[in-house]
Amino acid sequence: MDYYGPNGAGKSTTMNMITGYIEPTSGKIIIDNIDIDRRPKKAKKEIGYMPEGVPLYTDLTVKEFVTYMAEIKKVDRKTRKEKVEKIIEQTGLKDVEKKLIKKLSRGYKQRVSMAGALVGEPKILILDEPTVGLDPKQITEIRNLIKELGKTHTIILSSHILSEVSQVCNRVIIINKGKIVAIDTPENLENKVAGSNIIYITIEDPENKIENIKEKIEGIKKITLMQENEDKTKQYSIEADENIDLRKMLFTELAKENITIFEMKKADVTLEDAFMKLIEGGDK
Amino acid sequence: MWAVIKKELKYYFCTPIGYVFIGVFLMAFSVSFYFTVIGYGNVNYEYIFYSTPTIFVLAFLIPLLTMRSFSEERKNGTEQLLLTSPLSITKIVLGKFIAALIVAIITEICTLMYFAILCHYGMPQIPTALVTLLGFLLFVTTYISFGMLASSITENQIIAAIISIAFFIITWVVPDFNSNLEGISFINMLYKYTNGQIDIADTVTFITFSIMCILLTIVVMQRRKSVK
Repeated sequence: MDYYGPNGAGKSTTMNMITGYIEPTSGKIIIDNIDIDRRPKKAKKEIGYMPEGVPLYTDLTVKEFVTYMAEIKKVDRKTRKEKVEKIIEQTGLKDVEKKLIKKLSRGYKQRVSMAGALVGEPKILILDEPTVGLDPKQITEIRNLIKELGKTHTIILSSHILSEVSQVCNRVIIINKGKIVAIDTPENLENKVAGSNIIYITIEDPENKIENIKEKIEGIKKITLMQENEDKTKQYSIEADENIDLRKMLFTELAKENITIFEMKKADVTLEDAFMKLIEGGDK
Repeated sequence: MWAVIKKELKYYFCTPIGYVFIGVFLMAFSVSFYFTVIGYGNVNYEYIFYSTPTIFVLAFLIPLLTMRSFSEERKNGTEQLLLTSPLSITKIVLGKFIAALIVAIITEICTLMYFAILCHYGMPQIPTALVTLLGFLLFVTTYISFGMLASSITENQIIAAIISIAFFIITWVVPDFNSNLEGISFINMLYKYTNGQIDIADTVTFITFSIMCILLTIVVMQRRKSVK
């Protein structure tokens, strides 16, 4: 699940409250039926937290850090060593386990922070901006790691990158000014905002027969000329009822009218559009 | 709590801080030892703890030990790791306090080599020396606990150190100018121990002041959770 919102929306604050780092002014945080205010130790054991900015004890080696996290998370002494080894393997840190954290690249530091969050086998992983400051290769690696971890953990992450949200998450909570604007899957959010069904076409139509197809194809609501190009082609937007794919019918009917199609595309609504629309709606 | 103690000790001894603390203190101790024992021929181990060079370096060494305890964690954001772990704030504070105390105890143990030298050449008073060691430990504990409190209220290590140094100097110098303020002179309390006497009132003062500072540190850390 992803927390998405503009800067200052309250994403990190919400995450800090869930993890028990700060106390909410009102309301309750319940984790797996445990009230974090009443039973903080038990509730915190269920959470693995990777804070924003990747704070780490840079004077420790990777293994020392993960072991320290295991100690403060009270991982059983008998199995501690084995579990630390397993997490180091899982997060791809085996090659650098004896290196000081301060000597590592940003991507590795991110992995170390994630290893710290994974210690103690928490049911919920909370990742605050896990890919900020990484290069494209590192981003892909971290995303793959998140996807892999998502198979066995509930992951709540906050991100500024919408493409990442679409790829990694199956639920999105959009918040603005501390309030929830929408909760849904990325696909549903896109569909909700998509509203009408629009096709963009570029055609050569010297006799202006385009209006004729309105009668021939049922469900077309509106045909709008958007642009006349220098090569005598014209760009139109054709709006139709929802749940109709116009493209096949348009192709057939336009051919019958001797109208040449240069380009045809369905208007894509991205999560970004959904986000902008929801935030703007909220502001109004 | 043991995890925090271990990590803090690792920090003290994997960085120069622990060695600087012990080394500089022993250097000041050696200077006092030289003047007291070699210069005046006085076989007095206890007085060295009370001598000006020893006290003077402590004013700067104790803040060196405590200034980063909480302020650095806050500045680097690593306090998020601690405060979101199942460890309670009390255990975190006690862990850091005990680690600093262990460094002070190691330093005290190192001073026993001077006692051994005195034993070789003379007959120093063992009970008085033990009482002095106890008094000095209580004295250092008091300033360590205050240093921790100072570190918990700011994310700037330098400010934390300045607060600690200022407190040390105020409690050291001010009572000399105003007899009404003798009650806050921890150094005068230490003096009684160096004479081999355990003053119950002074012992209680040292202990209660330390406990008060530790409790205040816990309160400050707890309070910070609700005022971020």
